[in-house]
Amino acid sequence: MKVYKGKIRLIVKHYPYRYRDYSHTAAEASLAALDQGKFWAMHHLLLKKSPELDRQSLIKYAKELNLDIKAFTESLDKMKHSAIIERDKKLAVDMDLYNTPTFFINGRKVIGNRPYEYLKKIVEEELRNVKK
Amino acid sequence: MGAEDGILGGDKGRVMKLLKYSILPFFIFLTAFSSLAQEKRYEVPILDSPSTGPANAPVTIIEFLDYQ
Repeated sequence: MKVYKGKIRLIVKHYPYRYRDYSHTAAEASLAALDQGKFWAMHHLLLKKSPELDRQSLIKYAKELNLDIKAFTESLDKMKHSAIIERDKKLAVDMDLYNTPTFFINGRKVIGNRPYEYLKKIVEEELRNVKK
Repeated sequence: MGAEDGILGGDKGRVMKLLKYSILPFFIFLTAFSSLAQEKRYEVPILDSPSTGPANAPVTIIEFLDYQ
């Protein structure tokens, strides 16, 4: 990603699976961090620490990122961003997505965990298309 | 022997015909179809989802993910 600084815009949509315990809460945690300007730091931490995503762990991560813990915990417990998460989830279902991660690179669908090189190849193709 | 060769030759001819009229067109169709499938581009509304990188970046990646 850093290699392509200025050339890539990355957007995250949440698609938590219903049958997984902490999927929704973890998505809430990322958005609670967004409110405090730390979405990406939390995002990377959650990906690194997964599947350790229970409430206590999430609060611990918020502390690591020096977030306002009271606001963070309240946001988590009240599921303040439920509407956004449900909206993303509905979009995913409407688009017939069954796997995470699913990427759309300039609209081109890439399903599942792929090696970095694979994604890089598509990004390079897209960059070449733009230059033409 | 000669008669058998003739039968074999006939089989070969039939196999070639099969290749020509069914298998080859099938592969041509498959190749064309898969390249068309690759070209399909989806419209994904970005809305106010968390994003990084410039709005006018030449490449936009939208990732649907589950942290767990």
